[in-house]
Amino acid sequence: MAQVKLHNVRYAGMTTCVPHRVVSNMRDCPPHMRGARERLVRNIGIEERRINASWQTFSDLAFDAAEKLMAELNWQREEIDALVIVSQSPDYLIPSTAIIMQDRLKLSHSTIAFDINLGCSGYAFGLHVLGSMIAAGGVKKALLLIGDRSAAVIDPLFSDAACATALEYDPSAPPMYFDLNSDGSGHRAIMLPAGGHREPYGLQHAVPYKDEDGLWRSTAELELDGPAVLSFSTQVVPPAVRKLLEFADCPIDDVDYFLFHQANKMINETIRKKLGVAAEKVPSSLRDFGNTSGASIPVTMTARIREQLDGQSQRLLMCGFGVGLSWGTCLIDVKGAVFPELIES
Amino acid sequence: MDTLEQFVEKFSNAVDFQDAVELTGDTDLKALAEWDSLAALGVIIMFDMEYDKAITGADLVACKYLSDVYKLVA
Repeated sequence: MAQVKLHNVRYAGMTTCVPHRVVSNMRDCPPHMRGARERLVRNIGIEERRINASWQTFSDLAFDAAEKLMAELNWQREEIDALVIVSQSPDYLIPSTAIIMQDRLKLSHSTIAFDINLGCSGYAFGLHVLGSMIAAGGVKKALLLIGDRSAAVIDPLFSDAACATALEYDPSAPPMYFDLNSDGSGHRAIMLPAGGHREPYGLQHAVPYKDEDGLWRSTAELELDGPAVLSFSTQVVPPAVRKLLEFADCPIDDVDYFLFHQANKMINETIRKKLGVAAEKVPSSLRDFGNTSGASIPVTMTARIREQLDGQSQRLLMCGFGVGLSWGTCLIDVKGAVFPELIES
Repeated sequence: MDTLEQFVEKFSNAVDFQDAVELTGDTDLKALAEWDSLAALGVIIMFDMEYDKAITGADLVACKYLSDVYKLVA
């Protein structure tokens, strides 16, 4: 049971960067699909999404987010002891994007830098890894960069974003609580099967096929088992949230905001209803930003409750869930942290 | 347990039909334009929230008629 209480770690701030290009699920849709798309949008709750320019990588957004955050915090580059990236959209398969970013951000050679391969569940995992390094001593200031490049014009679900989060050593910081879980028996539920060593790219992956909507697809695209993901999410998240609150000895009413991975409206509303939490306490960025993978929790913080967070004191329950399968929940008291306005790149 | 009529009303809301359709236990699911993956998600949630029962996509794929889906309630 991976339940952890971390001391001496302060959540110092967070910045979100999204591409400026907006895709509309209704307008940017083949004419023959518009009727079905209307029903889909109504149910998944996603009207618009952000999509990277063809040249733009996840790390390009993350770079802008990190620069802005360091400037707002007045952190010097040589002070950053660790840089962790949580993403499944690396610049290259080798080396780690985080190491490339150490150089792009002009951080010191003594900076620890590595990637964590996680998607929708990743924010709590990233905070835990970086927080543990700080709590262990040695690392005083650290950056977590999270997000993915997963949007496609035709796919109504995914949207691009990157977020930078700053953590620092502070003996007066309230404890952070974590509950982290994995279930690899469900690894096929969300999968990009081609391109690894188990199924290397071959000519067969270059041959497109027509799906049931008459759209050309590739076998090298992400595969998503919707019913399996929905069942998993709505079954594991509510008990995971209750379990963490019990571990932290925190009554559910003491939480100011519940921040869930933005999967789709059907999943998120089911989770909220099962927990019996009022909608005002569960902000959603789905309508305007879609499913931004691991970035969706911080994206929601910037897009929906930035003013309530910036310089304020709030108790936040965060829960990410998805690819792996994996799910991670954390309880964090944010106090006096900086939350700059949304950046568009 | 709900009657078939009560179940059909909940099923109809869960599938979110674009236009009104006549539904009975004998309705062939494949004849319904909206019987797709989105409908499956809605019906899985409906079983969870209304009947406290976890069903899977495979359970629904195995159903031919609406009455087969109703039988999953029991």
